[in-house]
Amino acid sequence: MSERAALLPALGWVLLALGVATLPHVPHLPVWVTALLLAAGAWRWLAQTQRWPLAPRWLRTVVVAAATLAVLFTYQTVNGVQAGTALLVLMAALKLLETRAPRDLSVLVFIAWFLAYASFLRNQTLSQLPLLMASALLTTAALIRVHSGRSVPQPRELARGSGQLLLQAVPLALVLFLLFPRLPGPFWGLETSSSARTGLDDEMSPGDVSELTLSDEVAFRVRFAATPPPPQQRYWRGPVLGETDGRRWRHARGSAYPPQPVQGLGAPVDYQITLEPHSRRWVFALDMPAQWESTAATLAYDYTLLAGKPVTEVTAWQLQSYPRYVAGAELPPSLRTAMLALPAAANPRAVALGRELATRNADPLAAVRAMLRMFREQSFEYTLQPPKVGSNPTDEFLFTTRQGFCEHYAAAFTVVMRAAGVPARVVTGYQGGEYNPYGGYFIVRQSDAHAWSEIWLAGRGWVRVDPTAAVAPERVNRGLVRALPADESAPGRLRESNRLWGSVTLGWDLINDFWNERVVRFDTRAQLQLLERLGVRNPDWRALGYALAACFAAFFLALTAWLAWQNRPPRLDPAARWHGKVLRRLRSRGIERQPGEGPIAVLERAAETAPDLAEELLEIRDLYAALRYGPASDGATAMRLRMRVRGLRP
Amino acid sequence: MPSLPDRLRRAARERTERWIRRRQGPDRDPIELVRNRIYILPTPLGLTYALMVFAMVGGGMNYNNNLALGFAFLLASLGLVAMHHTHGNLQGLQLRLRQARSACVGQPIRYGLLVSNPSARARTRIEFALGKELASTIDVPATGEAEAELTVTADRRGRVRLERFIVATRYPLGLFRAWAVIHPEYTALAWPRPAQRGRTPPGAPGGRTGQHARGSGDDDFAGLRPYQPGDPLRRIAWKTYARGRGLHVQQFSGSAVVTHVFDWDSLDPLPIEARLSQLCRWVLDAHERGEPYALRLPGAGVAMDSGPAHRERCLAALALFEAEGARV
Repeated sequence: MSERAALLPALGWVLLALGVATLPHVPHLPVWVTALLLAAGAWRWLAQTQRWPLAPRWLRTVVVAAATLAVLFTYQTVNGVQAGTALLVLMAALKLLETRAPRDLSVLVFIAWFLAYASFLRNQTLSQLPLLMASALLTTAALIRVHSGRSVPQPRELARGSGQLLLQAVPLALVLFLLFPRLPGPFWGLETSSSARTGLDDEMSPGDVSELTLSDEVAFRVRFAATPPPPQQRYWRGPVLGETDGRRWRHARGSAYPPQPVQGLGAPVDYQITLEPHSRRWVFALDMPAQWESTAATLAYDYTLLAGKPVTEVTAWQLQSYPRYVAGAELPPSLRTAMLALPAAANPRAVALGRELATRNADPLAAVRAMLRMFREQSFEYTLQPPKVGSNPTDEFLFTTRQGFCEHYAAAFTVVMRAAGVPARVVTGYQGGEYNPYGGYFIVRQSDAHAWSEIWLAGRGWVRVDPTAAVAPERVNRGLVRALPADESAPGRLRESNRLWGSVTLGWDLINDFWNERVVRFDTRAQLQLLERLGVRNPDWRALGYALAACFAAFFLALTAWLAWQNRPPRLDPAARWHGKVLRRLRSRGIERQPGEGPIAVLERAAETAPDLAEELLEIRDLYAALRYGPASDGATAMRLRMRVRGLRP
Repeated sequence: MPSLPDRLRRAARERTERWIRRRQGPDRDPIELVRNRIYILPTPLGLTYALMVFAMVGGGMNYNNNLALGFAFLLASLGLVAMHHTHGNLQGLQLRLRQARSACVGQPIRYGLLVSNPSARARTRIEFALGKELASTIDVPATGEAEAELTVTADRRGRVRLERFIVATRYPLGLFRAWAVIHPEYTALAWPRPAQRGRTPPGAPGGRTGQHARGSGDDDFAGLRPYQPGDPLRRIAWKTYARGRGLHVQQFSGSAVVTHVFDWDSLDPLPIEARLSQLCRWVLDAHERGEPYALRLPGAGVAMDSGPAHRERCLAALALFEAEGARV
């Protein structure tokens, strides 16, 4: 029983560390797993405080078997971050049921470390940093508590001890981070992340984009090498939707159309785009991409730049685009057919409108202008909260509700154009972006998601037409918030209206950008660049090794020196120092201070043992006593003592 | 017959112990734990930790996840920092041997150690061990001292020498164990096991002197005198002590001064060890009653006296009677 009592203070720390490490996983875990951990923790705590007996062996066996089966059943595997985390949390819960010795607590601390680690595998944004620090502090404190045994340190002492260890660990951790050779992974299979992320899809129904724009999350950041293009040219191209069933627009999958070349006009724009992970392959290049890393990305026939694999980590792309271009001067007949296809029965009035436009305007461009004029001059409204539309959404929008968001306008325009015999398609992506003056880059958020149209004109190729611009030119020129009615709530409204808050969010974004660029994207190339900047010519992995070894040696030396300095005896006052010197000199005469012998007594004994020194020793005794116990220490006495001690020649 | 791995392991251990002894030489009081005599190795927990950090680094590279990798590096670095702290927790401590407290065979002999910490850094969880057996764990405050104790139970009377013990620590994280091997010159005595009570000491010439007229003379209370170490416990005036006036001993006037001579020859038919046990019992009992006694052994003897020092002398004579030393 005494063993259990000794565990008590450490158990609290371990439970706390475990709880903090589990917290970020809770949204991803089945409820019963979290519940089991909570129950086990509470029960173990009560067992400690209320002196309940530990769980019987059969119960533990049953729970272990049931939990393992349940995880297998839920995930069909025990591999990967998802199932692995659930299994770790269950292991922690089960370990709590049989925790009796300090070693069991150490195992729980290890599980807490693994849980924190798993949450970084899931998500490595800057927001994880506080979790990292809290987790490291608590687990270390818990482990110190486990190993400080009977002596019960105060929580503050524990926190300080843990903080001290971690602070001393930071320099070497940094060195390891900067210099430890990175092997380009993956070495074993990565699970395909099933977790849904906010972002564009390759399908679009009325209401999808407006829903997406409610999110303030960053989609990507862009740095232009020179002057950024004006807002009406900042269209970031995502999935192109060429198929429709009347209500929904879809990316035409598996169609093999020959890619048509892009011919740039005027000056190209060079820029770097840093994508936040969105689990899809689109690299939201500026209309129209002309140059990219050819091994890492491909250009689809519809001019969407596609990454080689789904973007699951923060990735940066060096790109070049032409804001003015001729794309697809030739239109293959099969593609032309597809870009004119409309479902037979859907949206009859819109189709009729298209046909009428075609008969009245021989020039397709005139039909386009007529349609845009209709949007502009009739009572169309641009809103995030349009009325719901039914089975013929385009008809209802064009002729009844007349309220819509960009996807309504883009879809309606494309339907009418197709009916008018102009090849057209819907393009989704982002438009605009907020400039961050502190960092000199543009932030493109989910709220900048946009849908527009593209029509094919003979001799000009694919031409972008943004019907939203006809209704709400502000949307294109100054962003969503300025374009919406003032009473409509939208993300970023507060940023827009409150300048201070705006600066704060921009500053915060700058920090996040720094984190992405310097920490998340740090790789072998950055390592070698760092060495080069430090003056190593043509650095390779061997240089990394040498630098690492040198840093290790310096770190060990520094730590050893620090500990030696910590372990030094406290500085004595002058009287004690000189007294010690006398004792060291007397050692040659075989006189040693006995345990428990006072400083005066030892001098007197020495005077008796060595009569030839008696006179000096007794004077030293008097001076020592005066200096040590006298009213006020004065310099003269100290000086005389020093001279006497120096003059002592045993 | 122990299995081969066991024999190999033991051979390796003995070899290491010999090497350490040769390397360090015998220790002289006070023993300072200087840097080059502290050994350090990871514990099983530390090895598990290393494995965990390895797996974390591998996983971080596999997933190309720099935050996970950074966490793994922080833990790796933490382990190395903890190694230095474990070593530093031992380094600079000074050990002094106290007077060992001898005991009878079957009773624990206590080897006291005064552990002093001259540094301004408190030392936590310093373990003292005899072989593999943990003897005591202490904390030593900054610029302070603490006492540790190693106990040995002898099964034969004679000189018991503490040849080797270990000072170790795993603080702060338990990932490493730092230890120092100490070879002190530290002996104590195992006195003979006292015989059962029952046999009264024989009346020897001059065995009883002085007045013995009124039987047990404990009746006439004569006053109190301050307690001195060695006074029989049952004479302590506990009531006075309880009133906060300090420890005093009751004195009785007219009490008979009973004296004894415990003679080897008086126990003639008994074998050697039985005689020693009997003599030991008499010595202990007489001391407890506060009666003076003398001890006669073939070729040795202790003159009539009383008090703790006398008792020690007599017991030592019994312990060392025709005995060679034992080693621990």
